[in-house]
Amino acid sequence: MRKIIFTLSMILLTTISCNDENFLDQFPETSIGAENFFKTENDLRMYMYNLYSFPTISMYTEDGKVTTDNAASTAISEIKSIMLHSNPTSETFGAGWSWGTLRSINFFLHYFNNNNLSEDVLNHYEGLARFFRARFYMNMVKRFSDVPWYDQLIGTADKELLYKERDPRSLVVEKIFEDYEFSSKNVKSSTLTGEVNKWVVLSYMARDALYEGTFRRYHPELQLDATAEVYLKIAQDAAKEIIDNGGFDIYSTGDFDSDYSSLFNSTNLSNNSEIIFANSYESGIRNNEWWNFFQNYEISPSRDLVHIYLMTDGSFFSSQQDYEKKLFVDEFKDRDPRLKQTIAYPGWIYGRTGTPYVFPGELSRFFTGYHLIKGFENHTDQGRTYSLDNPIIRYAEVLLTYAEAKSEMEQLTQLDLDITVNKLRHRVGMPEMFLNPNVDPIKEAKYSNVKISSQWKEILEIRRERRVELAMEGFRFDDLMRWKAGKALEKPPVGLYIPGPGNYDMTGDDIPDIKILALSDDIPPTIGEREKNELGVTLLYYRIGPVGSNAEVYVTEDEKGYIVGEENRGTFVEPKYYYKPIPYSQTILNPNLKQIFGWE
Amino acid sequence: MIGSVSSGKNLNVKPVKVSNLNHYKCMTNIKHLSLKKANIRRTCRIMRVFLLCFMLGISFCFSNNSYSQSTKLSLNLKNKTIKQVFSEIEKNSEFIFFYQDDILDVNRKVTVNADNGTVEQILNEVLSATGNTYFVSDRSIYILKEKTVPVVEEVIQQQKRQLTGRVIDNQGEPIIGANIIEKGTTNGSVTDGNGNFTLNVEDNAILQISYIGYLSQEIDTGGKTAFDITLLEDTQALNELVVVGYGIQKRINLSGAVETIDRRQLKNRPLISLAQGLQGVAPNLNIDFVSGEPGQTALFNIRGTTSINGGEPLIIIDGLPASSSELNRLTPEDVSDISVLKDAASAAIYGARAAFGVVLITTKTGTKEGIYASYNNNFTWSKPSILPDKFHDPYVYMRLQDISTSNTPWNYISYTDAEYEWARERSNNPNETTGVRIDPNNPKVWEYMGNRDWTRYFLDDFTFSQRHHLQVDGKTEKINFYLSAAFDDETGALKLAEDFYNRYSLRSKVDYKLFNWLSVGNNTLLTLNERRKPSSLSIHGLYNIAPTSWDKNPDGTWANETVGILAAQLTSGGTHSDKYNSFQTTFVGEARFFNDALKINTDYTIRRGNQNFNWNQLKYIIGYGPDDIREVGSNRARRQAGFDTYNVFNIFSTYNKTFDENHQITALVGFNQEYNRTERFEAERGDVLSASLPSIALATGEQSVNEKNLTWATRGYFGRFGYIFDNRYIFEFNSRYDGSSRFPSGKRFGFFPSASFAWRIDQENFFMPLNNIFSNFKLRFSYGALGNQNVTEYGYIPTMNPYVFDWLVEGKRPQAVSTPALVSDNYTWENVRTTNFGFDVGLLDDRFSGTFDLYQRNTTGMLTRGKALPAVLGASPPNENAADLTTNGWELSLTYRNRFQLGGKPLNFDARFILSDSRAWITKFDNPDRNIGQYYVGYEFGQIWGFVSEGFFKSTDEIGPLDQSRVIPWGTLNIVPGWPIFGDLDGNGIIERGTSVDAPKDLKIIGNNSPRYRFGFNFNFDWKGIDVRTFIQGIGKKDYYPEHHLFWGFYQQPYQGGYRHLLDFYRHEDDSESLINQHSQVYLDLGLHKANHDAKFPVLQAWLADEEVGNTGLAHPQTGWLMSAAYIRLKNVTIGYTLPQKWTQSKFIDSIRLFVSGENLYEWSEVKKYYDPEAITDDGQGYQYPFQRRYSFGVNVNF
Repeated sequence: MRKIIFTLSMILLTTISCNDENFLDQFPETSIGAENFFKTENDLRMYMYNLYSFPTISMYTEDGKVTTDNAASTAISEIKSIMLHSNPTSETFGAGWSWGTLRSINFFLHYFNNNNLSEDVLNHYEGLARFFRARFYMNMVKRFSDVPWYDQLIGTADKELLYKERDPRSLVVEKIFEDYEFSSKNVKSSTLTGEVNKWVVLSYMARDALYEGTFRRYHPELQLDATAEVYLKIAQDAAKEIIDNGGFDIYSTGDFDSDYSSLFNSTNLSNNSEIIFANSYESGIRNNEWWNFFQNYEISPSRDLVHIYLMTDGSFFSSQQDYEKKLFVDEFKDRDPRLKQTIAYPGWIYGRTGTPYVFPGELSRFFTGYHLIKGFENHTDQGRTYSLDNPIIRYAEVLLTYAEAKSEMEQLTQLDLDITVNKLRHRVGMPEMFLNPNVDPIKEAKYSNVKISSQWKEILEIRRERRVELAMEGFRFDDLMRWKAGKALEKPPVGLYIPGPGNYDMTGDDIPDIKILALSDDIPPTIGEREKNELGVTLLYYRIGPVGSNAEVYVTEDEKGYIVGEENRGTFVEPKYYYKPIPYSQTILNPNLKQIFGWE
Repeated sequence: MIGSVSSGKNLNVKPVKVSNLNHYKCMTNIKHLSLKKANIRRTCRIMRVFLLCFMLGISFCFSNNSYSQSTKLSLNLKNKTIKQVFSEIEKNSEFIFFYQDDILDVNRKVTVNADNGTVEQILNEVLSATGNTYFVSDRSIYILKEKTVPVVEEVIQQQKRQLTGRVIDNQGEPIIGANIIEKGTTNGSVTDGNGNFTLNVEDNAILQISYIGYLSQEIDTGGKTAFDITLLEDTQALNELVVVGYGIQKRINLSGAVETIDRRQLKNRPLISLAQGLQGVAPNLNIDFVSGEPGQTALFNIRGTTSINGGEPLIIIDGLPASSSELNRLTPEDVSDISVLKDAASAAIYGARAAFGVVLITTKTGTKEGIYASYNNNFTWSKPSILPDKFHDPYVYMRLQDISTSNTPWNYISYTDAEYEWARERSNNPNETTGVRIDPNNPKVWEYMGNRDWTRYFLDDFTFSQRHHLQVDGKTEKINFYLSAAFDDETGALKLAEDFYNRYSLRSKVDYKLFNWLSVGNNTLLTLNERRKPSSLSIHGLYNIAPTSWDKNPDGTWANETVGILAAQLTSGGTHSDKYNSFQTTFVGEARFFNDALKINTDYTIRRGNQNFNWNQLKYIIGYGPDDIREVGSNRARRQAGFDTYNVFNIFSTYNKTFDENHQITALVGFNQEYNRTERFEAERGDVLSASLPSIALATGEQSVNEKNLTWATRGYFGRFGYIFDNRYIFEFNSRYDGSSRFPSGKRFGFFPSASFAWRIDQENFFMPLNNIFSNFKLRFSYGALGNQNVTEYGYIPTMNPYVFDWLVEGKRPQAVSTPALVSDNYTWENVRTTNFGFDVGLLDDRFSGTFDLYQRNTTGMLTRGKALPAVLGASPPNENAADLTTNGWELSLTYRNRFQLGGKPLNFDARFILSDSRAWITKFDNPDRNIGQYYVGYEFGQIWGFVSEGFFKSTDEIGPLDQSRVIPWGTLNIVPGWPIFGDLDGNGIIERGTSVDAPKDLKIIGNNSPRYRFGFNFNFDWKGIDVRTFIQGIGKKDYYPEHHLFWGFYQQPYQGGYRHLLDFYRHEDDSESLINQHSQVYLDLGLHKANHDAKFPVLQAWLADEEVGNTGLAHPQTGWLMSAAYIRLKNVTIGYTLPQKWTQSKFIDSIRLFVSGENLYEWSEVKKYYDPEAITDDGQGYQYPFQRRYSFGVNVNF
């Protein structure tokens, strides 16, 4: 009996000691539940960083990646695929319907005031969140035009919200600018370095308002032309606020040949008067990527872009005799200094080799022969870590926004030009722009719809200034869309001109560097059999031929013409292709979502 | 009275380990034994009686008396048998009677009249006429013959003639504690520590020799006085005891699908982990290794596809759940028994984590009286099994690399003529042309032209590993113990730097019998293991080097080339050291009541593990040019500390009883509770000041710290009820009520029942005529449900995780927190139901035996994305219990064992073949459109959707009519002659990938990459001290489509390649005369300058097989290059020789065995040209640490 009692009591004892009801309640310790967060300003700040999403160094490839007239690219972009497709539908081109960012923002707005922080602080953070929401929705509007508006956190049970239909663009944009308005009034003008402040908010507000204003103006299919001015006015006011009170200025030391490029080659932009917002890097702490797009990888600038730079006397390049047949070396003579600070010019010294740049693979099928140097750190040290700062918002853009908004409202004055475009021209020593400028027939043809405005000549030149100043910084695609210039995408971008077989100078010293052969010729197999130039350097050999041949370089005609890679860019169907379809699967899941502008 | 009983020590009978369950039965059972039963039982029983008295007697005699004297009984029985009287007393009190049938006539009729009398009074009355006496110990009453102990008399009386002998097993090892009985008497003896015995017998006596686990033998003494007796192991699987969940069962009484693994199959193989030894030895216990890296953990699976969320079998070591890495810390030699519980019925008792079967591992304990020691070692030389077959000619490599990019948009690989010139010279005159020189164009830098397969430069063909294992074990009356120490050192294949896994382990296991009814024990394991390798070791890096690369500059510095840089990184670029120390101790207690009918077991385990992880990256020296030697790279140091806590508490109680001989009942109830916590803390800092002291303390750069803690807990209540009727019908019910912290509180507990039934047909009367052929024939059926909790710790709690944000604020990267994911309320256990049907057959005295099982396993309510919701939700729909799958399969094992006389010596022979298969389908998934990109109802696991290859375009004209633009990688490659043609299955002239099963367009299911028909074949024999074992293992069917550049080389990316098999590529036309003049002789000898229209591979075009874009070109599965990944592998051959005893017999050494063994000796497979077949078993792409062939020898010494 004793042993049974003993055993039973032992069992009883252990059972009691194990009988902890909370034993199965195990909660995370190294992550946080929302209820216990958002208590301090630092909590709000930490969460806000989670919403930061700004361009990186890849901003310089954007114009090529998304397909514009600024660059040739081997990359497949969505618009290129759509244009080439015989019957694009929402089944094949459904993308971009991602709402995670909005949930993150609305999640914040749902929880952030669960504390005793001051109104001032709460408004600042609410402003920031609404700034990100405005940006999010602006991107949705750019793509889909009408989208459902949500300003609250959605749960799996919120059937009405989940299955609602699209809200009209006018409503959504109204909401977007309510957010911007709140944000610009409440976000502090001075924050920690690297954080979004009032000027960043206003810059985006101006940019997006200009987009919406011009888009409505040039896209009658929306039937919102009448309201275009509302947004042009917002753009103008926001830009003016920055001009008047932001304390920014165009960066200029009087060095026409490097002031502009230094904005893209600097490892520290934090004290630059022109930089409203930068994506900063610091060697060892946050390294930037190496700029590998310099070599023929994926994108290269187009001749179309090279041509729009003015001559140093302010005249059009297209006014030059035989401008269409100018050789590479000649194209760079007497041009707006910004050209040489954007594209590798003849005689440009490549840091790694220390010699004028004639890259062995410089000429190649699919590429143009031009090389972007904006944002390229031309350094000799191979073991270097890269830490270039990327200028995300430059004051220059704000000035251009102001000028464009004014001209689109037909209210542009010479004073406006002097405080905007002419500031940019002064920096590089270019002649000033005046009201009622000459008309470049090439630009006139490209933007024929611009004539609805009485100030269309000014608009054309402001657009040129914008394309030059902001070349390859990722603005071009949006600009073409809002100006309804989608047709410009149909023209395959070409590269430099080759008049036919022969020897050519590429470095500007009048000594040939390359030898062009006809397709029927053979490149001598051994180096000894090849021609040398006066400097004793063996020429680089290429054969030219039409697209699809086995030539090293494709040209537009059989044995001469422009270097070309893409033969055909398809058709840009207007107005359909200015909008993208909602993914097919989503319209099945929610039948209330209807496609617009002929998308199926 | 007690004193006279203890004189039993005069007997020649020593206590032996009584492991037969019969011996534990209560008297109620024994008293039904008929007199005919073998005397051995009686001997044991007597012995037990004495032991019991001896041990209990003194300590309990006072309390005994008090019970018997305080218990009053009233009995009025007339003319009843003594048996009836005893049973009446048992009914009315707690007394139990023990007696031998042959000393008491229980059928004698007596009359009892007792009114409130003591039991003594009653017994005195009852036994007054029989001449018997008795004594009372606590509640037990022992009936004895009067005055003297009968057995003692027998021994003395029968003393006639002295025999001596020695009992050994077929390995020549002495059997200690074997019973020697003179047939027909109770006269017996037990062998001593050397297997020797002495016994006095009558003339012409017959000796019966028996020992647990061995076949009994009878020997006619026929005038001889000295005997050498070899006992053979009992091959009869029937009486084999099998470890099952919370208990032990006889194999014959099993009703579920349980497999046992003979540990002899593991013996002496150069195994570093038990998992290696378990691979291929039990059908449907599928063990795969993803690589041959030292210390590699295995992937365990039982019976195929488990859940879309995965689910491994539960591994239990000594009653304690263990992970695969925990298993790696177990020394294989310490293992005694392994059982695999495959169906729900046998695994149900483990509930929560046993949904996909259980591997039960028991470690050794001391079993033999005395103290024994043994020492085993082995020394192994390993070399990589299969490495990529690469050519090493620089010219061929460069030219093909050049060709591969020439017809792509990215033609940036083109060599200058000078480079080709040098390559050609190196190729044509390798010995007379230098491989390293100063660049003629730039005297500041070196230039290289290598010509070898650099993979083998880094990987050693003979790396040395060793193992040592020492064990001491033994047993006395009260204590049994097992102590072992092991050291394993497994060296990897890397040549230039330290690359090893080593393990020290110590185990101590002790059981102490505190009282006869209570024993306590402890099982403690201490392991220390370390994996050390260079911090920058990357297998990709070793496999992908161009032959043109180079190692060292003439000045001895590492070359500024892939090989040189890699070698510099490996030798001085820092180390990775991951040490893990684990301390585990289990306290066990066992209490037995009612003559062991009721047992209560409890154990408590504490395991503490700590990880000490050190990693550093150091600068290294590279020679760029003769006067340009640079230090490159960076100095960083990282440390990680881990603390793991694991506590387990089990208590369970078992009750066994047999009623009326035909009704056997087992009942078990228990409770289990587990708590696990892991803590990881890590810190890293850059800019270490000195490479010789790479510590965080001496670093000045950017620093980061992080921490992660995870905890889970489970609690379960379980029960078993078993009933066996007439040894013919076996029923068993198991169930468990389990709770897990991984689920929200309302959905935390699940109830998982199961039932099984077995029918021993061979016991039926109608089957009797066949019994001379069939030694066993049993049908089994089971059905049960289990839960799977294979989900993350906090999957139901929305949490925000902090991270270092990639942005600079005030010049620093700030902390940010993430947005929490959505979680669902519909979140609980996955339910796994298994139906199993099987049969066991034994033929010809079990010389031949076989087992077959057929099963269906339904995994329902798998946690996955719930119903698709509109994307405006902004988050992945939370996981819910929303999908089902079904796995069907079968498994077979066949065994043949026999023993012949060959050359006058016994030859033991056994062979075993296993085979298994399984297939799985999705039976519920929310994908109404049957989109191919995800699971859909009817989806079979492993299926490969692909194109049908139809050769190559032979001319430009052929290309036009077929629109293949949608399968062009990156959309930009040119379709040229030699491009693969995809079959236009839907005939619309466009090659397209369909998106749904109903509209697959040009896709179809072209194969299945699930391994099927896994098999193993084991063949062993021993004869005259020689033992031989071979083991073959493999997979019968598996399709494989290569998607990686280890196969595709330049077709994938122009940076890696040089594989010999790709030389057979399509070449549209012969090279021009001028080009041919440039080619090296090797290039010409290979015929690479000639057109090749009948090629295995298409036109050489880089990115054609680019897996980055996937789903296009050759990166999309298609029939043309679908291979069979089935394989047969000669896994192990071991040959051992036990030295004849006369050579080794000494005071200390009992036996010595020498052996040689080879592992992974050879394989047959279509894929072996490219990879080790095991490297791609689990969706691998072959980019794995090389598997090893191992050659070892070693010695076993027993003391």
